[in-house]
Amino acid sequence: MALLEVTGITKRFGGLCAVNDLSLSLDKGQILGLIGPNGAGKTTAFNMISGFYKPDEGDITFEGKIITGLRPDIVCKLGLTRTFQVVKPFPQLSVRDNVMVGAYNRTNNRRESRQKAEEIIEFLGMQDVADMTASSLSVAYRKRLEVAKALATDPKIILLDESMAGLRPIETDHMIDLVRQISKRGIALLLVEHVMRVIMSLAERIVVIHHGEKIAEGEPQEICQDKAVIDAYLGEVEIDVKG
Amino acid sequence: MTAEISKKTSSGPVRNWFRGVLLDWDRTQMLICFLLVGLLALAPLFIHSTYYLGILILTAIYAFIGISWNIVAGFTGQLLIAQIIFLAAGAYTTIVLYNNFLVSPWVGILIAGLVAGLFGVVVAFITLRYGLKVDYFALFTIALMVALRTLFLKWKYVGGAVGMWFSLTDPAFDKMIFANKEPYLYIALGLVVIGLLVQYRIYRSKMGKYFLAIREDEDAAAALGVNTSLYKMLAVVIGAAMAGVGGGFYVMYVTFIEPPQVFNLGLNVEIVMAGPIIGGLGSIAGPLVGALLNKPFAEIMRGALTGGRSGSSLIVYGSFLVLTVMFMPRGVTGVLHVIYRWIIRRFTSEELGEDQNGPA
Repeated sequence: MALLEVTGITKRFGGLCAVNDLSLSLDKGQILGLIGPNGAGKTTAFNMISGFYKPDEGDITFEGKIITGLRPDIVCKLGLTRTFQVVKPFPQLSVRDNVMVGAYNRTNNRRESRQKAEEIIEFLGMQDVADMTASSLSVAYRKRLEVAKALATDPKIILLDESMAGLRPIETDHMIDLVRQISKRGIALLLVEHVMRVIMSLAERIVVIHHGEKIAEGEPQEICQDKAVIDAYLGEVEIDVKG
Repeated sequence: MTAEISKKTSSGPVRNWFRGVLLDWDRTQMLICFLLVGLLALAPLFIHSTYYLGILILTAIYAFIGISWNIVAGFTGQLLIAQIIFLAAGAYTTIVLYNNFLVSPWVGILIAGLVAGLFGVVVAFITLRYGLKVDYFALFTIALMVALRTLFLKWKYVGGAVGMWFSLTDPAFDKMIFANKEPYLYIALGLVVIGLLVQYRIYRSKMGKYFLAIREDEDAAAALGVNTSLYKMLAVVIGAAMAGVGGGFYVMYVTFIEPPQVFNLGLNVEIVMAGPIIGGLGSIAGPLVGALLNKPFAEIMRGALTGGRSGSSLIVYGSFLVLTVMFMPRGVTGVLHVIYRWIIRRFTSEELGEDQNGPA
């Protein structure tokens, strides 16, 4: 049985159907990519899975439990957390305190939470900035902090919403490496990403959505050659490669 | 030789403890607070005028109530503007219990805290149930205050528009009536110490981190497992209960209460908001430091400018608040923090040979 099973979720905002009948499933330790053009409904799907929106139709099952419509904090307690496309650090808190908020998800003890935070900070190589306030971090560090906070909650699945957008190539490489290491810890990852290099090198399977509907699903190689995907989305990339 | 070693080891732990405190800004703020409370406690040795002692007592009460608001607005970022409704609830509870049921104020102010806390549950529940956030939350509390003023003006049992006097008797400890001002000062300072400790405990605990996380970004907090509704309610209830206790003691000290006096945004600014804002909203030392500047300044202005045009002291006081917010958005404690970091950087780089802040 899959760790996360999403069946036919639909979300409408007034007349607009942002996500229509989307299904996907994710196994333990797997990396699944979710791609599609801007406005395809990726973030809306994320918001539904992580509990920020309640789907109009469909079900989300996590470890055999139906979590449809549960509050984000309950979903997080169960072991599913997310990062935000527009990063949301706690700006006035230090990096360590930021991560500690996440670590308190599994403990009430200050010392344990702090220890956990130190461990995560070291894992992400952020020791040098641990005492700085989050507002003073560079973009690359903010993206990493976003992952650090999510990781500190001790999740089974992390939904990463465009954690490589706006990074320089070298920083992207670093992040890819990081995602691999997280995956090695046995944590499943659902990636929304625009940088195709990232998604092709990381994801074991890819789901492509367009206008809120799934148009393809499969391994990276299959997706690259899928006619519908090329028409809807990948076409742009080919032009990029030529130029 | 041995004497020297034993001397060193005996002073070692104390020195280490002291260094531990000074290297930690939170604990340094607590140290500053206790030094200030200590100075206030020694004040009666030098100040004998009941007028000035009265100002110090009100300063301490303002500090305690400022702490209660700091937890809600400073830590959790909830714009509970009219915190004074909880103070009023506590004040009315205490005075009604004393006048009508002969309950000792010592017990009365504790019950006042309980009643105000329950009132806080109701307010928090309504605002959360209907999703009132930020400015709507602020407006709701102000509207509630205005509604309560009208209600209390018509409510004969609590004195209506006439108000209620605290029926004074001969000095008696159990009735919290004293012949001179000093005991009031020490009770008020006791409240401040309790308030500081409660605030510090919260700040350093999981609850405190969650409060700060909610203030900084509610969605991000929720994604990390923070039950934002629960923790917002906790903040409001704790703040309300403390304001209720403060209100209970306040009415015991001023001995009189009437609706226009307590359901009043002017007093709300002076007693609840000015202290923490001047001192630094969201900081540990802010409410006390702010109260020490706020109340005496307001009183001095009142004293210096009366006799002339009435209300001119309010203009000066208001300008003082506006200038503080403009030029010290993080309050006096914010300025102190900058100085503190500068000193620590020099001290640690020379003494310990390491800079904890790393590359900037």
